[in-house]
Amino acid sequence: MEVLTNLQDQFSTAINLLVQGWGLQLLWGIGWTLAVTFVSMLIGAVLGSLVAAAKLSSRGTLKFIGEAYTTVFRGEPELLIIYLFYYGGTQILTGTARSTGAIGATDIINMPSFIGGVLAVGIISGAYQAEVYRGSFLAIMRGELEAARAYGMSAFTRLRLIIVPQVLRLAVPGLGNVWQLTIKDSALISVTGVAELMLSANKAARSTHHSLLFYALAGALYLVMTSISTPIFSKAERYTSRSFVRPK
Amino acid sequence: MSANLDTAMKTATDGKSAIAVKEMRKSFGDHQVLKGISLEAHEGDVISILGSSGSGKSTFLRCINLLEMPDSGEVQVGGELIRMKRGKEGQQMPADIRQVERMRTDLAMVFQSFNLWSHMTVLENLIAAPMHVLKRPRAECVEQAEALLKRVGIWERRNYYPTHMSGGQQQRAAIARALAMNPKVMLFDEPTSALDPELVGEVLRVMRSLAEEGRTMLVVTHEMSFARDVSSRVMFLHKGEVDALGAPKEMFSNPPTPQFKQFISNFSK
Amino acid sequence: MDTDFYLSTIWSVLKALPLTLEIWFFGVLIGLFVACILTWMRASAFKLARIFSQAYVFVFRGSPLLVQIYLIYFGLSQFDFVRNSSILWPVLRDPMYCTILAMAMNTAAYSSEIFRGALRAVPVGPIEAAKAFGMPALTRFRLIILPMALRLALPAYSTEIILMTKATALASVVTIMEMMGVAQKIQHDTFRPIEVLTCAGLIYLALNFSIARLFAMVEYLLSPHLRPPPEQSQQIKPVPEVL
Repeated sequence: MEVLTNLQDQFSTAINLLVQGWGLQLLWGIGWTLAVTFVSMLIGAVLGSLVAAAKLSSRGTLKFIGEAYTTVFRGEPELLIIYLFYYGGTQILTGTARSTGAIGATDIINMPSFIGGVLAVGIISGAYQAEVYRGSFLAIMRGELEAARAYGMSAFTRLRLIIVPQVLRLAVPGLGNVWQLTIKDSALISVTGVAELMLSANKAARSTHHSLLFYALAGALYLVMTSISTPIFSKAERYTSRSFVRPK
Repeated sequence: MSANLDTAMKTATDGKSAIAVKEMRKSFGDHQVLKGISLEAHEGDVISILGSSGSGKSTFLRCINLLEMPDSGEVQVGGELIRMKRGKEGQQMPADIRQVERMRTDLAMVFQSFNLWSHMTVLENLIAAPMHVLKRPRAECVEQAEALLKRVGIWERRNYYPTHMSGGQQQRAAIARALAMNPKVMLFDEPTSALDPELVGEVLRVMRSLAEEGRTMLVVTHEMSFARDVSSRVMFLHKGEVDALGAPKEMFSNPPTPQFKQFISNFSK
Repeated sequence: MDTDFYLSTIWSVLKALPLTLEIWFFGVLIGLFVACILTWMRASAFKLARIFSQAYVFVFRGSPLLVQIYLIYFGLSQFDFVRNSSILWPVLRDPMYCTILAMAMNTAAYSSEIFRGALRAVPVGPIEAAKAFGMPALTRFRLIILPMALRLALPAYSTEIILMTKATALASVVTIMEMMGVAQKIQHDTFRPIEVLTCAGLIYLALNFSIARLFAMVEYLLSPHLRPPPEQSQQIKPVPEVL
């Protein structure tokens, strides 16, 4: 009986805390998390396709650069990359501003935390996306590309009409994984001060001393975000595969 | 047809019963694959089991050592009945898995796709079951394995892995592996069907030598030469039933049923 | 080129390598143990065990490791029964143990899925052959299924273990001075984040590379059946108990 009243108390305390304003904090946190993830995925898409192309090229230097990129940004701790862009960004900005005299010798220009964080996570996401695009490209039937060449399509036309649609179709499952990965990496941006979900949960936990509640809640919210993507990506996969699946 | 069957069964070699199957039935879902098959094999019998695909011959063989569960019917090995019971959904199950495991040691099987254990060398493949199932000492197993490998002609490959050998060599290794268990009966499930034509001969030669030394063998096969020249009896399955059964010379020269006649005419090219 | 600075930074960070390796090693070890239990539960006949295993994997793969660390380190210390327990409290109040525990539980989720895939990938033919020779289930598992599954799991599992080195960096967020923590401190003190973090980055790369080569060697040793055939030898290879 005591256990039940205890649970009830805890439950109502939790609801109170959330209603008092911490709930709103967490919702804003979700918003920022999604913003960071979206922008990072976009950056990653651009970088990833370039790197994939580099790795697939016949030019040795390009291949090497591509390999170096994926090795480094998948192999280094994400935290290190984030610190590098955030604090390193501050270092560069401050350094150039001081040397050009725009600011005083003791002033500092901080790298905006959102930009620094998003660049870092974007570059990391790009490394994983590069592997997805590369794998998808290799899976395209060679015959289709040869036929396109035989019909005199220019490289750009081949890219636009054959390669990109096919790569996107094959890449959807892999991109679903990268999306989930990127959402989880976004939690690390909390070290730079972006008010995403992890930081909001931190603030709430420290202020109210209800660590378990807020961290468990944050965990659950991340679960929702990563798992909602599964049906969305399945739909996307079905949509992009519609020319390949026999109609019922 | 049944008169022929009875005669054939009576004129079978007078010896101890090696395998006796009574009224075996098996369905996969709605499709009835075995519709009451009976067979008695005596020691020294070499029985070729023929039939077109879908006739149930592989299923029949796999039901004997219970790799598939027959829906009904009896199986006796060396006079001992395999005890069965009914499970929760009414399906047949072995009553005592230990009995089944023990009987399987007397029923060595050779598979169409060899099924050698790819992480072990040929020698290790041959001694694994004798050592760990029959609990024989390692030295004895190795000695027997080497002799068997010499017998089937691949002793030089004893430290090779299966992936490094041709199909014919792998199948000969699989036969040696089966022999290492000193089985009472050998079951062959289309042993040459997965082999390139030029490799079929070496495996058939080994099987012929086994038949000549008096081993009891049940062979599901498409190799008519083996069925006609080496086996002591031929069993022809058609649509899940025993259509013809008898000594090969008579069966091939005077096909007892129209279905069997049709069947062998497809092969006489 | 300020070589002195670079060298002293690299040396300072390297001094924290043993701590990083300690976190990595125990995280991997405990994680392996938990993963085996999870895989066994997933294949169990009991529905409850299967559901628990699936839920566990879902939770630990779907949420960030950082949340899991915070949850274990800060969240569990809220409970009176934890603070008063003589077994749990010494473990759960130490950031080092909490990080290792969180990492272990996290990697267990990924690893158990790898193992599950490997077990399902073992070809059914050789298993049937083992049955046909009268091998009881436990012997089949020990001699045939486990060795084959192990070799199938090794590439993916070694990737997972190498990824764990990245996870050790998160320990710095809960005040542990492993390599990332040391690098952060130096970077803060000297205001030269790019140089310091690049040095730390190089060390992490070297670490990953070394571990990767180690696993490549293990894979090589375990797969003679995938390599070209050996020289003819007169010696008989001994049969190990479990291959």
